[in-house]
Amino acid sequence: MSETPGEKMNHLDEMTLLLYIERQLDRARGLEVSAHTQECDTCRTLLRALERESRLLTRAMLEEDEPLPSRIAQFQERARRSMQWIWGLVFGLAATGVYALYSEYIQPWQQQLEKAGFGGSNLLGLLIFQGAMWKGWQSMVTLLEVLAMVTLAGLGAIFFRRRIRRGSALALVFAGLCTVLALPTGASATEFRTGQSPTVSKDEIIKGDIYLSGERVRIEGTVEGDVFAAGKDIDIDGHVKGDVISAGRYLQLRGTVDGNIRSAGNTAVISGTLGKNMTWFGDAVTVDSTGKVGGGITMFGGTLAIDGHLNRDILFFGEEINVNGSVGGGIREKGNMLIVGPNARVDGPVKFEGNKPAEIAPGAKLASPVEFKQMERKRDYRESNYYIWRVIWTAAFILFGMVLFLLAPGFARETISSAERYGAPIGLGILVFFGVPLAAIIACITVVGLPLGVLTLAFWMLMLCCAEIVVGAVIGNLILGKATDTWGMIGRMALGFVIVRIVYTPLAQVHVLGLLAALGIWMWGMGAISLALYQRLQPVITPNMPSGPYAPPIPPNTTVGGALPA
Amino acid sequence: MSAPGITEPTEAIARARTGDAEAWGELYREYAPAIFRFCRRALPTREDAEDATMEIFMKLKDKLIQYDATRSFSAWLYKVSANHCWDILRRRKIRQDKETDDLENVPLEHPDPSQLDQLIERRTSEEVRKALDRLGGRARMALVMRYYSDMSYDEIADALGVRRAFVGVVLLRARHELRQALEGNASLAAGGAS
Repeated sequence: MSETPGEKMNHLDEMTLLLYIERQLDRARGLEVSAHTQECDTCRTLLRALERESRLLTRAMLEEDEPLPSRIAQFQERARRSMQWIWGLVFGLAATGVYALYSEYIQPWQQQLEKAGFGGSNLLGLLIFQGAMWKGWQSMVTLLEVLAMVTLAGLGAIFFRRRIRRGSALALVFAGLCTVLALPTGASATEFRTGQSPTVSKDEIIKGDIYLSGERVRIEGTVEGDVFAAGKDIDIDGHVKGDVISAGRYLQLRGTVDGNIRSAGNTAVISGTLGKNMTWFGDAVTVDSTGKVGGGITMFGGTLAIDGHLNRDILFFGEEINVNGSVGGGIREKGNMLIVGPNARVDGPVKFEGNKPAEIAPGAKLASPVEFKQMERKRDYRESNYYIWRVIWTAAFILFGMVLFLLAPGFARETISSAERYGAPIGLGILVFFGVPLAAIIACITVVGLPLGVLTLAFWMLMLCCAEIVVGAVIGNLILGKATDTWGMIGRMALGFVIVRIVYTPLAQVHVLGLLAALGIWMWGMGAISLALYQRLQPVITPNMPSGPYAPPIPPNTTVGGALPA
Repeated sequence: MSAPGITEPTEAIARARTGDAEAWGELYREYAPAIFRFCRRALPTREDAEDATMEIFMKLKDKLIQYDATRSFSAWLYKVSANHCWDILRRRKIRQDKETDDLENVPLEHPDPSQLDQLIERRTSEEVRKALDRLGGRARMALVMRYYSDMSYDEIADALGVRRAFVGVVLLRARHELRQALEGNASLAAGGAS
């Protein structure tokens, strides 16, 4: 350019020319510019350069330089759907729970109280007067069963959807569920009895399995199959040739059970004969002096008293074992106390890990001396060791998280994105946290089999371990912004994890707060992992999605210059 | 902002508004690639663009009811996308202070037309894309809205939260930043032909 300053003053500025080619000038100004550019070479050249620049920009932006990511090709409102599904499920279960509580607790109490002249009492009053916190066990069990079945169905849907299309997969799973639910009735003449006191009377013989639920469940006759019972008191005075699977406050066996007892409840008293093993989740089990157990006892709970005869081993995690009868196998206990009375006889080895050595009465007959191991004392937060260990564990978890992030960076990124949606992962987390273990236990004892149940539990525990890492990563992202590379993600995870630990350590000393915080972290993290996993397992819904060159629906902006129409 | 020659799937839009999943899938297949590329140009990384595309379509499901069927669907879709991407950039504080400070301090001099012409002549689309990646959030966003999705000045002003009168300034500054990134030529970038 070799113009004098005087000439330059007459040129149009770049802004004006840009607005001209973008048709942003009013008509009069546009005509002025048009006239000027016809006479001035410099401005005309600049005008053309700007137009070429516009075209270059449009071309550069519209050109296909990379294929469409498979994630985009596969994604189709699935997260939204999954959220709806989760919320639908959660609200559905909540509604079921509320209905169950109303129909099983509130309504009967109201009716009873009204009859007794206590109309208009509040809920707290009803609870106190009736003392029936555990009443209606069956409704709770039903609720949990529904939860477990739904979780199993969800897992089934995820599994099948990898292979077949959405509608067919869901149809298959629900058809399967219906079949499972329908099978016992048709195939083995299973009976269902409910009411205040469902009973198998003395001379009655039940050929197949029987389901009993009610306040007081009584079995006085013979059941040739299994007994599934839920209620406040369960009395077995008759003969059960199969297993007893029950949930209730009090279980009393005065008759005979040829199979196993697998139960959850408060207290169990065995005065009769149990042919095989007993598994008990609850407060107390007593094998009376008249009681006989053909197998062993596995118990998680408070106290176990053996006054009668047990043919095999005891595996116990709880407070106290008191043996004053005979045990054909060994005893393995992790608890507070082991008392072996003067009439006791134990034929196998006794291993006890507790706070103080076992109390062995002089007359007791033991095959070998008790192997006692002092239980490790829980570290106290007032000791410096406690903090050293917290730091070590924190470092170990960060290392664990780092390995996971490096092994599966894509999945880690998806998990963190899922966690950042807050509502859906927490909703799903609640479901997974409670539902999966329950489903696994049910799988172990009833539905599918031990290996699947154990695997499910192991996977659940792995998710539990990873939950805090996920939450840490989200906190890290909140502070430093989203990372674009794997190491950035790891750095943010480490920072967030340390912050979570720093906040959680004092909270953990306050029982309820610590528990709530831990539950929150677990559910959030597990929900996010489950959500990411769910999204990963989605089938390719749009297999024909073009991934190569694609003409967008909007053509390039080809600016031609000119003034705005008048 | 309309798309001449392209028939918008009005029937699918109407069905998607009533919750028809098939229609929704149709819309997704039709528009997701373009929206992904919009996000890809506007946001710093490919992962960001993937996340944003999915978030936009999730958001769209709720917003579809607000769509005025008498107007161009693609224009509306780009508007939603632009707002979303700009929100992301703002949250990450990619907007730099100078971008707001210098808005009114626009260079109005003549750049050297022949030098600019040569620069444009020599550059390929790929080089332009790489240069775009080095621009500030607002500059890139403005260029993408204008030259990818053909948004009007009013729409750009609305999305960026600036007065309409400044949209030209933002675009011109963005072009200068782009030239600087392309060439590293200070005189061109400053618009200062001597």
